[in-house]
Amino acid sequence: MNSTKTWKLALALLAVVNWSCNDNDDTGSPSAQPYRSGVIIRNEGNFSQNNGSLSFLNRDAKTATYDIFSQANQRTLTGGVHGYTEVDGKGLILVDNSTAGQDKVEIVDGNTFQSLATLKSPDIENPRYAIRVGANKAYVSCWDVSGDFNNGTFYKDPGYIAVIDLGTNTVTKKIQVPKGPETMVMAGTEIFVGSAGGVKNVTVIDAATDQVKPPIEIGNNPNLIGLDANGKLWISSGREVIRVNPQTKAIENRLKVGTSTTKSPGTFRLSPDLQTVYFVYSFYDAADNFRQKGETYRFSINDTSIPAATPFINRLFSGLGVDPQTGILYAGFTPSLAQAGYVYRYQSNGTLIDSVKAEIGPSGFYFK
Amino acid sequence: MRFRDGVFLSILAVASSPVFGQTDDSGRALPVVTVRGAVPERFLAGQKSQRIDSVSLEQFRFQTLTELLSATTPIAFKVYGPGQLSTASFRGTSANHTALLWNGININQPTLGQTDFSTLPVAGFDQLSVQYGASSSCLGSDAVGGSVLLSDTPDWKQPGLTVTAAQQFGSFQNRNSQIGLRFSSRQSNRWQVAGKTFFYTYRFPNRYPYRERGHYFVEQSNTDQKGFIQDFYFRNDKNHRISLNLWFTDNDLIVSPFDTVVRERTRSQSRRALATYEFKRLTIRAGWIRDVIDFARGNFNRPSHSETDRYIGRAEHEFSRNGGKWELTVRSGVEFSHYQTRVDGYHDSPIGEDRADLFLLSRLQTDRWRFSLNVRQAFVSRFDPPPAPSVGAEYLLLRQNRHSLTGKISLGRSYRVPTLNERYWKDLGNPNLRPENGFNAEAGLSGESSLGDRLKISGELTGFRNRIDDWSYWNPEFGYRVENLQLVVARGIEWSANLQYVHQKWKAGITPGYAYTRSSQERVYNTYAQDIVGKQLAFVPLHSARISVYAALGSTRLTVWHQAVSRRYTTFDNIQYLKGYQLTNLILETQLTTGIMKTRIQGQVNNLFDTLYLNVKRNAMPGRNFAVNLIIHLNTRKS
Repeated sequence: MNSTKTWKLALALLAVVNWSCNDNDDTGSPSAQPYRSGVIIRNEGNFSQNNGSLSFLNRDAKTATYDIFSQANQRTLTGGVHGYTEVDGKGLILVDNSTAGQDKVEIVDGNTFQSLATLKSPDIENPRYAIRVGANKAYVSCWDVSGDFNNGTFYKDPGYIAVIDLGTNTVTKKIQVPKGPETMVMAGTEIFVGSAGGVKNVTVIDAATDQVKPPIEIGNNPNLIGLDANGKLWISSGREVIRVNPQTKAIENRLKVGTSTTKSPGTFRLSPDLQTVYFVYSFYDAADNFRQKGETYRFSINDTSIPAATPFINRLFSGLGVDPQTGILYAGFTPSLAQAGYVYRYQSNGTLIDSVKAEIGPSGFYFK
Repeated sequence: MRFRDGVFLSILAVASSPVFGQTDDSGRALPVVTVRGAVPERFLAGQKSQRIDSVSLEQFRFQTLTELLSATTPIAFKVYGPGQLSTASFRGTSANHTALLWNGININQPTLGQTDFSTLPVAGFDQLSVQYGASSSCLGSDAVGGSVLLSDTPDWKQPGLTVTAAQQFGSFQNRNSQIGLRFSSRQSNRWQVAGKTFFYTYRFPNRYPYRERGHYFVEQSNTDQKGFIQDFYFRNDKNHRISLNLWFTDNDLIVSPFDTVVRERTRSQSRRALATYEFKRLTIRAGWIRDVIDFARGNFNRPSHSETDRYIGRAEHEFSRNGGKWELTVRSGVEFSHYQTRVDGYHDSPIGEDRADLFLLSRLQTDRWRFSLNVRQAFVSRFDPPPAPSVGAEYLLLRQNRHSLTGKISLGRSYRVPTLNERYWKDLGNPNLRPENGFNAEAGLSGESSLGDRLKISGELTGFRNRIDDWSYWNPEFGYRVENLQLVVARGIEWSANLQYVHQKWKAGITPGYAYTRSSQERVYNTYAQDIVGKQLAFVPLHSARISVYAALGSTRLTVWHQAVSRRYTTFDNIQYLKGYQLTNLILETQLTTGIMKTRIQGQVNNLFDTLYLNVKRNAMPGRNFAVNLIIHLNTRKS
């Protein structure tokens, strides 16, 4: 008798718990839109394993939610994740598979991460970077199919920008651009496109007409950093950073980063007030089996030189991001691509707040 | 040789006879000599070993070792796609820890220290057995997790000529063709010769009618496989035996074949030649193996080339004494091998290396006991592996008319000589690498029982613990430079059983098997290693189970092969995994006999339930697919 009673009680309790759980699932409640606000961690994954993912971190949480795409869709992203951005409530996940013809852009609901559409080959080949360029309109820079690195034909010439209409979730156009298109920044109605393919020019595209305009010569492999508080465009190239007036296209300043002949600067990120630029300064140590070594520095947009002598944080990171809401620096650390990395959070003065375990190769952040 | 009319040998009958021609020679003109060279299991008392029956070999004759071993053993394969790279994890170890022996010679690629099991078709050898656990004392380097033993044998007992032609028509326009002959001369009083010539060519264009399954891509690839086998055997009444074995394989894999810019080609070619001379208790062997791998992307005319030649010489002597109630066998041997390798990725090329092994194997058999005590010492240019002793015992716990039960226990040390790539690869290789060394302990029970005349049951239960130190590791934290970093402990339980029912023309059987394999890295060598300590090794499923069920009436047989694999972690910290899956294959076969022609027809359904399961690259494996196989034997033999 006793045990029967216990069972009945247990069942009743279970039912209540179950029912109350269901009750939470009303639309509009936090559990129905679990990813409405917080930080999306982009885990690049180990290329050959095609295991990139996105994790979600609430700003006040100490643990992340893993592989949110897989949780919402019962299937994993099948490639390295090269970019994530949101356009008018929709997320674009840039997925790079180790096999040609298997790259894609997953378009998801930004609140639930449920897949809305998948853009595939031949529309999408080696997607690198996504940017909102207008209402329901995004550009995705694509290298196109890659060739043989050893023969110097790795980057297909030309590459292209896929124009995505998020009303219909389709690629409506491919804009041909010099090989290896990479980072993009929007200034006014113009999109400035960098390159990784050994190109010296920044491509300029009119976002309204999708027409390519005359380029700006900057230097090898120009990388777009962003617009500062004065509306000036910052670009890096080799061991230099260059300030450009996006209206006149004139180069206003050219600064050498540091004095090292071995280290290179990368992963530039602007602070929320657009006054400070953070960057990682690193090299591959030939004396130590080409292990990557380096630190994280910063400079002000008004500095006249960038000595890179005293690190802001004496650590190397695989990704940086600055939360525009809080100014907190999010820094991804990758012990190896065979195990989970960590996200370290720092105050804007460089004080470590905490660390959160992410997934494979945390390399970028999207704040919402 | 004269062709004679004769009754065909039923394949199924062969299957139920013990072994082709190795025993039962007594009473004939030629002396009783067992084939000693390739039977190391005899000296591994107390360890689990498994012989794959010839019915299974026949059913999988158009498939590769990967498919056959997945269906019949707990070996977990890391598969990159159909017809693509497939490496073995035996008892929770890595791809480098399975020794693959062909007629007693280790044929793992010396540069990689492993074998791509997708390049080895089941039609390429006569017999297959699997040795569980460390057996370096008998088999040398790489025999850390287990060993796979392929061998060829002459048909001494079945004189005559058999010509075989076989063809498979499969889904996705996949085609396999085989043609060959086997012969054995009549047993005269003086001498006898036998042999086999066999050629196969497999074409897998893999034209899937779909590009995706369940939102996962099905990768496009094609594989062409060719192989040639030539065996020749001679024996005479003076106790001289000579055998020659050749096996040439050529495997050509192209991933993304339709894109001329990014297509990737891996062409692996191996030539293996082995000559054996046996006289009384002496065995002398000489072998040559050339392994060539060409890898190219886009432009196939300029591949990255890797080529290794191995020259092997081995001499063994066996001594045996029978004391009435006991029999002692002692086998001693010495092996030399010279390696010459040219690899585009090495600093220096060519690289020469000499290796030598000394071994002493012994076995004592009494009425109820079987003991073995073995030791091997290997010598390698520039460093020496540790000595590898092993000791084992088996005791017949129960012996009745219809039932028997044997207890087994064994302890053994194993080693693995670092591969040539691990030592010589530009920048990432590490010439100062130490050999890995393992310690394997296992114990088990095996039993057999006849329940009446129609029903037979047998089973085996084994527990093991294998500790492998100085586990070398392409350290991803260190630019994938290889280091002796890790300590891996693998432990587990294996259970297998067999139930056979025979009644008049009916036959039926069930063969279930289950393995629990817990394998983990146990050393904290830096801060972040804490996240991987104690975690299950990547791509080693904790649980795996398989069952095959068949029913046969005469020579018509229906067999269902089913396997289940639990989740496989894909990262060292177990944060990601591939889901577990179950896979069912079915084969229906029958045989028609007309005169000297015997035609065997097989219908095959693979992935019967259209299971979606992923390979290592997170691509979907093919869905349900079909094959029709036609095997024709023309036979002059008398059975």
